[in-house]
Amino acid sequence: MEHHSLSEFNLLVKQTLSNHLAPSYWIVAEIGEMTVVQKGHCYMDLVEKEGNFIKAKQRATIWSYAFSGIQSQFQQIAGVPLKKGMEVLINASLDYHEVYGISLNIRDIDPSFTLGERERRKQETILQLEREGIIDLNKSLILPQVPQRIAIISSETAAGYGDFVNQINQNSYGYQVSLRLFQATMQGDQAVKSIIDSLHRIYELEDEIDLVVIIRGGGAQTDLDCFDSYDLCAHLAQFPLPVVTGIGHERDHTVADLVANVNLKTPTAVAEFIISGLMQFESDVLELFQKIGEIARGKVQQELQLIIESKHRIALKTQHILQKSSFELDRIVQLLNQKPKDIIRSKSQELNALAKLLQAHDPKEVLKKGYSITRINGQSINDQTKARAGDQLETITYDQVLTSTVTETKKTS
Amino acid sequence: MNKKKPSSYQAAFEELQSIATQLESGEANIDELSALVKRAKELVLYCQERLKGTEKELSES
Repeated sequence: MEHHSLSEFNLLVKQTLSNHLAPSYWIVAEIGEMTVVQKGHCYMDLVEKEGNFIKAKQRATIWSYAFSGIQSQFQQIAGVPLKKGMEVLINASLDYHEVYGISLNIRDIDPSFTLGERERRKQETILQLEREGIIDLNKSLILPQVPQRIAIISSETAAGYGDFVNQINQNSYGYQVSLRLFQATMQGDQAVKSIIDSLHRIYELEDEIDLVVIIRGGGAQTDLDCFDSYDLCAHLAQFPLPVVTGIGHERDHTVADLVANVNLKTPTAVAEFIISGLMQFESDVLELFQKIGEIARGKVQQELQLIIESKHRIALKTQHILQKSSFELDRIVQLLNQKPKDIIRSKSQELNALAKLLQAHDPKEVLKKGYSITRINGQSINDQTKARAGDQLETITYDQVLTSTVTETKKTS
Repeated sequence: MNKKKPSSYQAAFEELQSIATQLESGEANIDELSALVKRAKELVLYCQERLKGTEKELSES
């Protein structure tokens, strides 16, 4: 039987492989493990999974001379660094080493494949949230008018967190806002679980919180994959308090931004949003009060006008009545003055007339006209008188008394 | 009229709005006017105190 030494056999394998394999292949795989060693070489375990079952597994290496170029190009295009759990399209040749065995030598990685893959996963998360009808739940919560009790999910050491706290606490309007930090890891494998844990802790204090803010420092574009995770986004969407994101990225929105009640680019923008909300409320209140003041002043003015009008009417009416009364009084006074005079005049006229009449009948007046009164023997003469000769006659004239004696009597013819 | 402290911003704001409406519609008579304006002033102060935390500081001191 022909014998081979192990080295001879391994050499045979090496030759057979190199004869039958192309110089390189494009292979799709998931990065199962990844380590970068001191010298700058990158060692990976590539896997293909079916659910949790590992269907294939292969060691791979990116030598340091290639790694820095591949890594920086990948990050630039895909927006994230290479990392464990990522689906990648690699260009690799198969190396067989007599001592170390089979390994893939990665020469290139196509970032646009991973970008597409991430986008596909993101779309999958969105679709699933839509299918379950929860994607708009947080959006449909009404933002509190005055969010003054704020729960922050962030890492205490993040620059964005410090900026946020400073901006809120040093607002120039003197608004008091209570901030409570719920610490979480904001990137890497632990991020999803850590943020969900913080949400659970906030949920316990639901009644003491108005708003949840998720912020993350800006800086270098790093890994935002956790914000596209279905688990996290489903929790955010169904959270009973409004969530505001300020994840600190300039690129397209994450799914967390999509489901949040309000999404803003940076922690600073979130702080401005909160302060401007408080300002708006205060200005609404003041405006309303001003309006109330104006209406009240108007009403007072209106009442004053009515009072003035009434006063005027009363004065006018009073004057009118006074005038009328005074006129009547005058009339009466005049009447009282005039009437007695009239009466006196008319009575005196009557009296005069009477006096004249009486005067006309005065015997003296008759005697004045030449008439005289004759008495016989001291007696008045009438139809019974029988005068005889020798009787004494006394004749009274206006200014004399004549005494005579009757010498003869005759009948009047 | 409601003489108590409002229970929330929302309540305060709604009461202010209702005072404005009451005045606008001419429902309020001149006897109520001063009380309504006084109440409005209280509500505004309440909102400002809560926004600026002076109330809290006062009650703590």
